[in-house]
Amino acid sequence: MSTATRRPRDTEFASGKGEVLLQASDVLMQFGGLTAVKDVNMTVHEGEIVGLIGPNGAGKTTFFNCLTGLYKPTSGEVRLAGEQIPPKPRKVVKAGMARTFQNIRLFGNMTALENVMVGTYCRTTSGVLTTVLRGPKFHREEKETRAKAQELLDFVGLGHTTELLARNLPYGDQRRLEVARALATDPKVVLLDEPTAGMNPQETQQASDLIFRIRDTGRAVVVIEHDMRFIFNLCDRVLCLVRGEVLVEGSPEQVQSDPRVIEAYIGTGDDDDFDDDDVQEGPA
Amino acid sequence: MTQFIQQLLNGLTVGSLYALIAVGYTVVYGIVQLINFAHGEVFMIGAFGSLATWQVVCQKSTGLWVLPIMIVGGALCSVAIALVMERFAYRPLRNAPRLAPLITAIGISIALQRAIQLWYPGATSNVPYPSIDGVTGGSLTVGSVVIQRTTLFTLGVLVVSAAALYIFISRTRTGKAMVAVSQDPDTARLMGINVDRIIAAAFAMGAILAALAGVAQGLRDSNVSSTMGFLAGLKAFTAAVLGGIGNIQGAVAGGLVLGLIEAMATQYIPGQFGGNAWSDVYAFIVLILVLVFRPQGLFGARVVDRA
Amino acid sequence: MNIPKITISPRPNVGKALLAGGAVLLIVAALLAWSYDSTILGDLSISGNPAPLQEFAIVMGVVGLIEAALVHRRLTSLSWWDTTSSARALAVGTLVYIVLIDYNIAYQSGGVINLDPGAWLALVGALVMVAGSFLLAPVKVTNQLKVHGANWLEIVVITATLAALLFMVAFILRGDDGGSVLAALAAGGTFGVLLFRGGFFTWLSVAAARHRPVIMLGALVVALLFPLTQNGTDANMSIAVDIAIFLCAALGLNIVVGLAGLLDLGYIAFLGTGAYVGAMMSSAASATIGWHPPFLVVALLGALTSAVLGLIIGSPTLRLSGDYLAIVTLAFGEIFHTAVNNMDGTNGPDLTHGPNGIAGIPDLNLFGFNFGSTHNLGSFTISNYSNYYILLVLVAALIITIFSRLNNSRIGRGWIAIREDERAAEAMGVNIFGLKILAFAGGAFLAGLAGTIQAHATPSVVPDNYTFQESSFLLAAVVLGGMGTVVGVALGATVLKLLPEKLRFIEDYRLLIFGLALVLMMRFRPEGLIASRRRQLEFHDEDENLADIVQEEHVDEQKANA
Repeated sequence: MSTATRRPRDTEFASGKGEVLLQASDVLMQFGGLTAVKDVNMTVHEGEIVGLIGPNGAGKTTFFNCLTGLYKPTSGEVRLAGEQIPPKPRKVVKAGMARTFQNIRLFGNMTALENVMVGTYCRTTSGVLTTVLRGPKFHREEKETRAKAQELLDFVGLGHTTELLARNLPYGDQRRLEVARALATDPKVVLLDEPTAGMNPQETQQASDLIFRIRDTGRAVVVIEHDMRFIFNLCDRVLCLVRGEVLVEGSPEQVQSDPRVIEAYIGTGDDDDFDDDDVQEGPA
Repeated sequence: MTQFIQQLLNGLTVGSLYALIAVGYTVVYGIVQLINFAHGEVFMIGAFGSLATWQVVCQKSTGLWVLPIMIVGGALCSVAIALVMERFAYRPLRNAPRLAPLITAIGISIALQRAIQLWYPGATSNVPYPSIDGVTGGSLTVGSVVIQRTTLFTLGVLVVSAAALYIFISRTRTGKAMVAVSQDPDTARLMGINVDRIIAAAFAMGAILAALAGVAQGLRDSNVSSTMGFLAGLKAFTAAVLGGIGNIQGAVAGGLVLGLIEAMATQYIPGQFGGNAWSDVYAFIVLILVLVFRPQGLFGARVVDRA
Repeated sequence: MNIPKITISPRPNVGKALLAGGAVLLIVAALLAWSYDSTILGDLSISGNPAPLQEFAIVMGVVGLIEAALVHRRLTSLSWWDTTSSARALAVGTLVYIVLIDYNIAYQSGGVINLDPGAWLALVGALVMVAGSFLLAPVKVTNQLKVHGANWLEIVVITATLAALLFMVAFILRGDDGGSVLAALAAGGTFGVLLFRGGFFTWLSVAAARHRPVIMLGALVVALLFPLTQNGTDANMSIAVDIAIFLCAALGLNIVVGLAGLLDLGYIAFLGTGAYVGAMMSSAASATIGWHPPFLVVALLGALTSAVLGLIIGSPTLRLSGDYLAIVTLAFGEIFHTAVNNMDGTNGPDLTHGPNGIAGIPDLNLFGFNFGSTHNLGSFTISNYSNYYILLVLVAALIITIFSRLNNSRIGRGWIAIREDERAAEAMGVNIFGLKILAFAGGAFLAGLAGTIQAHATPSVVPDNYTFQESSFLLAAVVLGGMGTVVGVALGATVLKLLPEKLRFIEDYRLLIFGLALVLMMRFRPEGLIASRRRQLEFHDEDENLADIVQEEHVDEQKANA
């Protein structure tokens, strides 16, 4: 179990109520007759860490997919820094929101550095002509990309893995590499889907530290997690999702002590599992 | 009106052939997500196998009694080929990237065509296919519509095969297992189904139907050729996609629909772009449109997102 | 693949003695007569006057002696050279070579009885070498990747390798009967495998990366010098032109398949589009378009038309992937073939003259340089086909440049990411659709460009040059050679086009062999003969060992280049 303690914020975001970065209002997601996410509201501020908990099948990942443009919500809207999010994952990334995956999805046969460099794709512009003619812009951008990627690897503590293949990295490092790759897209909001799944306590501790450091750069972080202690230590605010609805929202202390949350965690788990991979793949 | 009915019959006949071949594509794809590109060649081998049976076993008799023997001979050849390719070419590639089995299929297809050309006497060009009493020869006339006997034979083959197929799938152990494997191979394996055997059975079943189509095609055109499998295979694949790949009833319906579209387009598209010369193009345009706009097929596939 | 390991307890001293002895026998044998009949395999009948094929045997013998000497006393500067493996490769290759020649002599002169003593002695020599080489003890070698000679030395070695390659190709081409060509191939193969097993190519791959501009320029010069080895005759040059066109198309396809990972089964249609545009707008009597602008304009138009078609064919990638996309491209290819076959005035407008095609296309004339006539360069004559060949080599160089620059860039990384995990790539902001379309249109553009040249270099443009079979040949060149690598595809294209031309006796079996080769390759070496490391990893997803090896090589290479 995690032993991380909550860390005081840097003064800049001391209030915890910076500008609103992400706002989901009344998000409803139905698949045929099934309602996976029902009227979920969520507001995330600059420099805030928001946790999303709930039993299996509560619709957490489905909600994530609505936020990142993978699914188009049946109704409701998602705004990122005041703008409605575009309907395509790629454009959402460009608008400033990046994610990691519950089941790690790295580019296994690329090196760690290359993986992160892919993340910068949407922030770079070298086109075919520049690339083929190898003008000064190409060399400058390539150099910058490389430097930025290396910097991010250092940031997540993978500076030594630069030239190693992603598939050869140990599990915990792969998770961190995914975070670095997401950060390379220059996001305002980072969505982490079960960032500590399968980690040992020490790695979990490192993960908390990393998330705090991401927060300290002024970004907002939304975390899905099962590990209660981890999330209550980490987050400024926690939403508990049950059967697609927000059951409780509040500070970790409030959520922790709410009897309904405890009840929800006992005696559920037989719903259709919306966190399942198949759904994440999306229907045809 | 006469013309319309005539084209309707044409379309249904050609469509029946597509349907028979299409089942092979759809069953295999439903189970292993493999486009067995060489299935057209299985059809071609079936046709040549039946021809060889007629020449060797039946002593070139034209009596109706030789027909079942020809069919069995053709089916044996095509099943053998299908099983060999499944066992030695596809099975080792089951976990390989998608590119590998597709290229393998192209390789098999080219090699089989060439092998027939090299070793089947006279197969460098069209080889005459025998006429069989009763199913070829004098046509029937109903009103002003001329019905070829081969048309009736082809349609009959489709009806009988479809019925047999239905019974096979819904009544037999192997048939039910096939459905189970196509829905969830891993679970099926856990339930004690021998998945390798079922996959082989799917290849064999497709091959039998393809051989039937081969015989029907041979009787209809009075000749067979080593290259007959390529276009027929491609169109049958179109039919399978049209019906929703993985969906057996859909494949049959898709074949008939494709046959009708081709026949009607050939008849009714006016001007220089009409007529027989372009009929393949119509089929391919249908293929492209369906794949792009309705990849799950007209009737909805049981299996989605397999592309 | 499990090959049972043959274990022979090593006897190094006996081994090296046998190796040297066999080599000496081989050299002596090469100086004797092998056959009484001077018409077989370029006259092997005169003692003391070795024919070219016998000279190869001498070279093999000398190399065998050198290997034996190296086994006897290892040089520290060559500590990376795997003497044992290379000696075995040499010995086995030599044996195959001698057996091929002896078989040919016996076959042509009517029986083993007609082999002269030299042929027998050579066979004995080769057998002794094999025996000796397998008695050698395995050696521990230092990492070839870390070998770093003086710059000038490395450049000299690379240049020498390229020159040897040119010589070998020219020699193989010179053979005019199947036997000589096969023997020459066996000799070339022996030297190739020898260098490979010794570790030379491992070193070469890193050294070449260090001297990239040199090797590129060197390869270009070698390719351009090739016509000079043909003494102005056209026989081989017309084959070379065919190969060059095929190579250009295969390199274009390599962008689509090798980089973007999209399977295109109708790629030949793009070459065809270029060729038809070139033909229709040429000043041929049968050209169907009244406007005859200069060739550069036509070339650009042909390439652009093709690119537009590529856009159209690529547009389903928005919704399709994998097998379905492959089928759509196949259908487009068939539509193209049917369309050009039909448009003869009866079934559609008269644009292509249907099955007869457009014939009598005049030779190119670029800036007053007439491609149809011969030109003299000093004492060398550059023939008609050589002109086209040189132009096509330049086009191929252009395509290779574009290919490798795209590969090592933001765009190339995007393509790899798509191949690896399309959804993850999209979730990381990669413009999947744009990149796929770019591959399609770009590949089509380049093939179209090659097509416009093809229209002038070949006698006529007919639909049957652009069938599915041709598309599958192109794909095979890419797949057999090695997806995503330039050298591999060049090798694949050359082998696929050259062998059937030179080995006429396999003509009938060409397609059969080709089909089976595809099946076997996919089974045993799906990444192709010369594999890109990344592709190798993709095809062997579960091979942890391979991943470690590749990673180690990569890290070493990074260090070597730093």
